[in-house]
Amino acid sequence: MRLANKLAPSLFALLATLTASARAEDAPPTREAFAQPVVELSDQDRERFFRGRSLFRQSWVAAPASKETLAGLGPLYNRLACASCHQKNGRGHAPDEPGERMQSMLVRLSVPGANEHGGPKPHPRYGDQLNEEGIPGVPGEGRAEIRWQELRVKLADGTTVSLRKPHMRFVDLAYGPLDKVQTSPRVSPPVFGLGLLEALSDETLEAMAAEAKGDGVKGKVNRVWDAAAGKNVVGRFGLKANAPNVRQQSAGAFLGDLGITSPLFPAENCMPGQTRCRQMPSAGHPELSAQQLDEVEFYLAHLAAPERRNREDAQVRRGETLFAQAGCAQCHRPELKTGDHPRFPALGHRTIAPYTDLLLHDMGPALADHRSDYQANGREWRTPPLWGIGLIGVVNEKTHFLHDGRARNFEEAILWHGGEARTARGRYARFTKDERTALQAFIQSL
Amino acid sequence: MNPILSRRRFLSLMAAGAASATGLAQAATSTAAQTATDGRTPVVVLTGYPDEVVSRFEAAFEKAHPEYRLQMVWRMPHEALPYLRQPHQAGVDVYWHASPRTYAALAKEGALRKLDIDRTGLPDRIGKAQLADPDGYYTVTEMAGYGFIVNTQALKARQLPIPADWTDLADPRYAGLIALPSPAKVGFAPPIVEIVLQAYGWEKGWALWSEIAGNAFLLNQGSTFVTDEVASGRRPIGISIDFFSASAIANGAPLQFVYPRHSGMNPAHIAITAEAPNPDGARAFARFVLSPEGQRILAHPDIRKLPVRPSVYADLPASYFNPFIAARDGVFDFDAEASLPRVGLTTAVFEQMLSAPQADLAALWNRIHKAEAAGIDVTAARAALGKPPLNEADAGEDGLRLAFRNRLEGSVAETVTAAESRWRVNADWQRAVARAVLERKQA
Repeated sequence: MRLANKLAPSLFALLATLTASARAEDAPPTREAFAQPVVELSDQDRERFFRGRSLFRQSWVAAPASKETLAGLGPLYNRLACASCHQKNGRGHAPDEPGERMQSMLVRLSVPGANEHGGPKPHPRYGDQLNEEGIPGVPGEGRAEIRWQELRVKLADGTTVSLRKPHMRFVDLAYGPLDKVQTSPRVSPPVFGLGLLEALSDETLEAMAAEAKGDGVKGKVNRVWDAAAGKNVVGRFGLKANAPNVRQQSAGAFLGDLGITSPLFPAENCMPGQTRCRQMPSAGHPELSAQQLDEVEFYLAHLAAPERRNREDAQVRRGETLFAQAGCAQCHRPELKTGDHPRFPALGHRTIAPYTDLLLHDMGPALADHRSDYQANGREWRTPPLWGIGLIGVVNEKTHFLHDGRARNFEEAILWHGGEARTARGRYARFTKDERTALQAFIQSL
Repeated sequence: MNPILSRRRFLSLMAAGAASATGLAQAATSTAAQTATDGRTPVVVLTGYPDEVVSRFEAAFEKAHPEYRLQMVWRMPHEALPYLRQPHQAGVDVYWHASPRTYAALAKEGALRKLDIDRTGLPDRIGKAQLADPDGYYTVTEMAGYGFIVNTQALKARQLPIPADWTDLADPRYAGLIALPSPAKVGFAPPIVEIVLQAYGWEKGWALWSEIAGNAFLLNQGSTFVTDEVASGRRPIGISIDFFSASAIANGAPLQFVYPRHSGMNPAHIAITAEAPNPDGARAFARFVLSPEGQRILAHPDIRKLPVRPSVYADLPASYFNPFIAARDGVFDFDAEASLPRVGLTTAVFEQMLSAPQADLAALWNRIHKAEAAGIDVTAARAALGKPPLNEADAGEDGLRLAFRNRLEGSVAETVTAAESRWRVNADWQRAVARAVLERKQA
C-alpha cells in the first residue's frame, strides 16, 4: 500500500502523515480509530466496556500471583496480552526477516483427520498451535521462522509486481519432532466490528451462500462446534469461520494464545507428553471468570468499525464502481443488514458495510494451507471484512495482508487471489494503471 | 511431512526470483521445515511494562543483538520483590520497571550486582532527583512527569481557566471537575501526595490536598482511565502522569498536558540481578535500553516516556517536552529519594483522611466555599478540614514508616492497621468540627 510505504521509514513520518491527514479531512482518523464504541454507551455500559478493555490490554502473570484475577498465563503461551497481537485492535504483522520473532502471528498445527466435533485434530505432542513461550520452568514449544521468497508477476499492461511467498521452518522444538504436521501461519486479524457481524442472522448467511453468483463464485457457510450450546452451528469468526460467536472466539484465544482457561474451555492447554506443563499450578478453575469473559465479550462486540473517508472523492467513486465491475463485491459485500443480536439488542437491525459475506470460498492453490477446519477445506478461507482496512497503515504502522501477512499492500493481496476469485483477479490484472490506482483509492477509503 | 527446507535450498529458491502467476500455485505449497536450534542465549527480564513498551524493545533489541533472545517475565510492581527473593532469583537476569522503592530495597538486600556500564552522556541528576544509584547498582532508564491533563475545549465551554499549579486546583469553580486517581489504589499516584507535601510543607500541603480532594472525582483505576475521563469532557481536568496523556495526544486526542510549577519525576530503572545466569546478555540489554537507539523508542506515540539521555531530545519533535530544560526553572525540585521512606505512610493517610470520606468532604467544602462567597467567616471549618491526623514529626517516626513501607505500587492492604483506624477517627472528628462551625454560622 502506498500510504504504508510512506509511513514505514520512521515514527515521525507517521506523525507527519497524521497531521497531514488531519488537515485534509473534516474528522481526521486517529490511531485510536479502532478503539471507539459502536453505540453511545450508558455510564454503566461504558464502565463495562472499559473493564473489558483493561482485560484486553492486561499483561497476564503466571500463577501463583498476588492478584489471582489477573493470573493464569501459560504454562504455554504465545504472548502476554490480547493487545500484544491485536495492537490497538488492528492487524498484526509477519516477521520481515528470518531471525525476527513472530510478535503478532502464530502457527496453527494439526494432523490429518478431525476431532470429536469435526474440527482440526490437534498434533499429539504440540496441540493445535505452536506456543513459542513457556512460563519459568516450562520450555516453550519452539519457534517458527519465516523466510520470504520474492516472486514477480506481470500485469496486462506490462507492469511487474513483486510478491513474496513465505517459507516456514521450526527451530528449537522442545517436545520432539513435528512429523506429519499440517501448519497454517496466521497474522492476527482486527477485532473491531465483531458485534455487528455477530448480529447477521444465520438466514442472511445461508441466503448469500444459496444465491446464484457469476464468475464461478460460490461461497458456503461453515458449521462449527458451539461449546456452550453443545451442538454444531453457523461459523462466523476466525480466518476459516471456525468460531460461532465472539465469546467462544475470545475464550479460544485466551486458552490458545495466553494459556488462560475459562468457563468455555476449562482445561489447560498442555498435551499428555508435556509433563512440566501439566505439573504447573493453575490460577483458578477456571482462570478467567465468567464475568471477565462477559466483559471482554462486551468490549469486543461493541468496538466500532471506523467511518469511511473521502467517499465523495471522484477517484474513490470510480474505484468503487471498478470494485463492483471486477466482481470483488460478490464476496466483499458492501451492504448487509443485521438481524436480532442474541445478547446486545443495540447492535441489531442496522445497515452495515463490512465488505464480507462471512462465507468460505476456495481461494486457489497459492493461498491454500492444506488444512481443513470443520467444513472448510485446505483451499478455503472466509472472506475477510475490509472495513477499516484503509486505516491499518495509520493504526498499525505495517500493512501485512492475507492470512499470513504475505501481501504488503492492496495490490499484492489482490494478485494472490485465486480459485473462486480468479476471474476478478484477472479483471484487475487487465485494468489500466489509472483504474488500478482508483480501485486502490477506494479500498483505502474503507 | 513437509519437506525440509535447507538453508542452501532456501537460498536457491530466493535466487530463483521470478515466477509466473501460474507458477505461484506450485511454489506456494507448504514448505515448513524443522531444524534444531537457532543458538540464541536467553536473557530473562522481569518487568511490569505494558505490551506497547515490551514488544518494541524486544523487537529492536533482538534485531541489534541476534545472539540473544529475550524472555519477558511480567509481574506487577509490588510482586517484583518477592519474585526476586525466590531461590536463584528465579533465573532472572534483569529487573526493568518504574518502581523506585523496589530497586532501593533490592540493592539493600544484596540482590543486585553492579551495572558496570559506561554512563557517558547520561547525567546523574535532574533537578533534585537522582538518575543513578550512587553505588552503581541501578540506573534510571526513562522518566515520567506528574501534572494535569486538561481538556481545553471543555474548560473553555465552562469558561474556566487552565490550571497552572496545584493551588489553582483548589478553585471552587473546579468542584467535581477534577479526575483524581486514588493514591492508595492506583499504582502511579502515591508520589503526587508527596509532591504537594514537599512543595508546600506538611501543614499547608495537607490543607491544600483536602481542598483539592473536595473538588475531585476519585478514580480507583489508573492507566488510561484518567485520560478517558478527561477526553470525554466529563471531567475537564485530570491529575496524571504525562505519558498517558502524551500518548493519547500523539494518537489524536484533543488534550493538553500541563506540568505544574511543582512537578515531580517518576523514574524507571534497570538493574542486573546478583545471580544473573547471563550477566553479559543482561548488560547488553541494559546498554541497549540506555543507548540512543533504545532511548528513541521511548518517543513512540504509544509509549511517550521521557528519555534519560539528553542528546536524544535533539532527534525528537520540537514540541516534545524536555525535562532537562524544565528542570532549570525548578520544575523538578521534588526530591523523590527523600520521599521514599514515607510515601507508603502518606498514601495511607490520604486514604483515611480524604479518599474514604470524599463524598462528605466534598459536600463540606462546597458549604465552606458558598459561605466564603457570601462573606461569612468559616476559617475554623476550613482549618478543621485541612488538619492532618498526625504531625510531620510523627510521620517521620521509624516504626510507623516501617509499618507502611511494603505498601508498594498497586498493592492494596487487606487489613486496616490501628494507626489507620486512628487517622480515620481523627478525620471523622475534624469533619464533625467543620460541620459544627458551619451549622453555628448557618452556612
